[in-house]
Amino acid sequence: MPRRSAGLLLLAAALVAAAVGWAIAAALLWDTGVPDDLRLPDLDSGDYFTAAELEEARSYESVIRLFYLGSLVAGLLVLVVYAKVGLRFVRESAAGPIGTGMLLAMLGLGLVWLTLLPFGILELWWQRRHDLTEAGYADVVVGGWLALGVEFAGISLAILIVMGLARPLPRLWWIPGAAAFVGLAALGAFVYPYLGGGEPLRDPVLVEAAERFEQEDDLPDVPIEVAEVSAYTTAPNAQAAGLGPSRRVILWDTILDGRFEDDELVFVIGHELGHHESAHLPKALAWYALFAFPGAWLIALATRRRGGMREPAAVPVALLVLVGLQLLASPAFTAISRNMEREADWIALDVTEDPDAGRDLFEGFSTALLADPDPPSWTTPILQTHPAILDRIAMVEAWEERNGR
Amino acid sequence: MEHPPPPESAWDPGPIPPEPEPPRGPDHPIRLVVTDDRRRSRLTVFFRLLLAIPHLIWYFLWSIATVVVVVIGWFIALFTGRMPEGLHGFVARYVRYGTHLFAYLTLAANPFPGFAGDPGYPIDVEIDGPERQSRWKTAFRLLLAVPALVIEATLLGLPGAGSGGSGAGGQEAGGEDAVIGIGIAFLVAFFAWFACLVRGRMPHGFRHLNAYALRYYAQTYGYLFLLTDRYPFTGPFDVPDPEPPPPAPIRIAIDDDLRRSRLTVLLRLPLAFPHLVWLGLWSVAAVLAALLNWLVTLAVGRSPAALHRFLAAFLRYQTHVYAFLSLVANPFPGFTGTAGSYPVDLEIDGPHRQHRLVTLFRTVLAIPAWFLALSLFGLLFAVAIFGWFVSLALGRMPEGLRDAGAFVLRYAAQANGYGFHLLTDRYPYSGPADRRLAPPDAEAEPPPPLPPLPPEPPPSGLAPA
Repeated sequence: MPRRSAGLLLLAAALVAAAVGWAIAAALLWDTGVPDDLRLPDLDSGDYFTAAELEEARSYESVIRLFYLGSLVAGLLVLVVYAKVGLRFVRESAAGPIGTGMLLAMLGLGLVWLTLLPFGILELWWQRRHDLTEAGYADVVVGGWLALGVEFAGISLAILIVMGLARPLPRLWWIPGAAAFVGLAALGAFVYPYLGGGEPLRDPVLVEAAERFEQEDDLPDVPIEVAEVSAYTTAPNAQAAGLGPSRRVILWDTILDGRFEDDELVFVIGHELGHHESAHLPKALAWYALFAFPGAWLIALATRRRGGMREPAAVPVALLVLVGLQLLASPAFTAISRNMEREADWIALDVTEDPDAGRDLFEGFSTALLADPDPPSWTTPILQTHPAILDRIAMVEAWEERNGR
Repeated sequence: MEHPPPPESAWDPGPIPPEPEPPRGPDHPIRLVVTDDRRRSRLTVFFRLLLAIPHLIWYFLWSIATVVVVVIGWFIALFTGRMPEGLHGFVARYVRYGTHLFAYLTLAANPFPGFAGDPGYPIDVEIDGPERQSRWKTAFRLLLAVPALVIEATLLGLPGAGSGGSGAGGQEAGGEDAVIGIGIAFLVAFFAWFACLVRGRMPHGFRHLNAYALRYYAQTYGYLFLLTDRYPFTGPFDVPDPEPPPPAPIRIAIDDDLRRSRLTVLLRLPLAFPHLVWLGLWSVAAVLAALLNWLVTLAVGRSPAALHRFLAAFLRYQTHVYAFLSLVANPFPGFTGTAGSYPVDLEIDGPHRQHRLVTLFRTVLAIPAWFLALSLFGLLFAVAIFGWFVSLALGRMPEGLRDAGAFVLRYAAQANGYGFHLLTDRYPYSGPADRRLAPPDAEAEPPPPLPPLPPEPPPSGLAPA
């Protein structure tokens, strides 16, 4: 067998092995505690929401979706143009190749930010009109400006890693590069709860419920904190954050402002502890790794015509490919996220044994966030990181039926 | 009127050799003339503020009359396109008198000034006669003058108009309403007061810097009060000075074409974020290296070459980043502080012998320089803000603003190189003579004759030409 054919065969075998390994890992990560045979009932949103509530939520979300699509198209267009003409900004750099690569990456992000700014302002106007936020326009622009600086620092670090590795490893940088990004993501996830600076939860009813979950239901013993966000938003929310010793449940103070009853908040705590119980954050990191390696490889392939990632000229193309890949992978990302949320909801139902609280909570979310309880199906793969409200209520109904309630 | 020679007294130093013919300022209708010999009478320096009280009262009254005259002149100039000769002469005298008074107050000159604003004072201004002025510029003069007034307030203060300057607050001087905003020149005067009392001589750099502030004052108020429609020139490098600047081991080299990329100007602050993070990290190592450098220099009287190189690279990098951030230069800088890699760069001489006593007390000795550098950063801030708008609009940085920023960066680098990094034991030169700064080995030979000043560049302020 000629050497070239043998090499191709070896490569094909390696690719197949990698694909099989990828599929096995994905299947293991996808598996949840939600019963496989669970069938969700087909519900009618009119049974849970008034016509006026549905109309308001649908009208609000339809405009938000329009802004999203507009910003998506505009951002992509800018990146396409930038991939072609971004090279001319090389003359604005007195730095070496890596510094110039950083500049090109930052300018690309800066152009996207400038393009999306009007959409952001329109969205803020729409949210203010519906009393969903009290943030001012100047806050958003100035805050966005400063956040852009942090983003620039982040992308510079990413370029430093990629170009720094691509110089000694022009064809294989993507292997240590992807590993480095996974490491950074893990570090970020670990450190994040320490940066929030939330206060410990003091509500005795909620604290007692969390202790009960830990003692009776073997949910993990992690601190519960309250973050002050009410200066910026009225949206109620909570999150599970951290890894290992930094694990936390963070409740936004907007969810504790009286709009939700104690039993609903207990359900929220059950849901967030459920994320920790099911190790969703480490699993999310593992998912990230599964996408990071092939993603980095594809970027390496796409930028070869411009000299590979060791050349600053490749950076505008790499940006476009990165965003394009993220867009292509977004159905997978949202599906993974919805899968985890479903599992956390199921755990919350199991530990609280209070389906009414769950139902009330989801109805309350829809009203407070003006979330369409039954959004158009085309939005699911690109926008819905959580199951639709009606699907979450359907899960409550299914749990009741399964447990004879 | 010929000004009488300053009286000799027991506090005066000995005779000072005659100075060469002073260079004149650039071809602006309002030009500074410096004939001051830097001798100061310790007695009048000691009582300088009190001695100026009659002048401040007179200045206050004259200011009121000038405002009335300018309002009348504004209407006339709006219709005829020219200030009447009589009104022009009145206002010109006022501006000249103000320059004399503030030169006296800030110790930039020694003799007690006359009350009439006659020419002949050691720090003086020449003001051309009335000329045709653009009616549009006349109509919007107050608005157009705002950036210049801000820079003037930073440099000298806002005479007679409340507190201003670089955040030093206000100083009551001669009546409830005559409050003088304190700018850089008054901070210089504060330090100069001690130096003059001890040495009987105004430090060269201090006089030069205050001359810069005074020229800007005269040009700004000349512009505001309709003596000319030429915008004040912010650049400090052509401020006349009768003496050559001292040699400097840390110099600035400018190789910038003034072109600015609008996109990188728009995003300048966030673009600098990675550099600021890196600068912060490098600073930690630089502090440790500087401490080590101090100990070694104290012991052996010379900075070790490796430490000197490391600290020089840090100082250069810091200058590159600040130049980028403040729009003094255009391109995105590298991260290593390599010499010659940036259009606004530092030339730093190699290690040389340093006086151990000066090294021992370096931090204390550097305090005035650090204060002055901090105060000059107010000017750099103004340069960055106004430069941002102009560069965004024109794709070009005005030369005057660029040079003012470069001067601040050079002084800050010298202050840090002297006080913090111990790259040299030569005290920072506060005068804006960067185009003429020479390395110390030039000391061995007599300074070459000063080259003729370049022709005045086209007006580069914010006002349209």
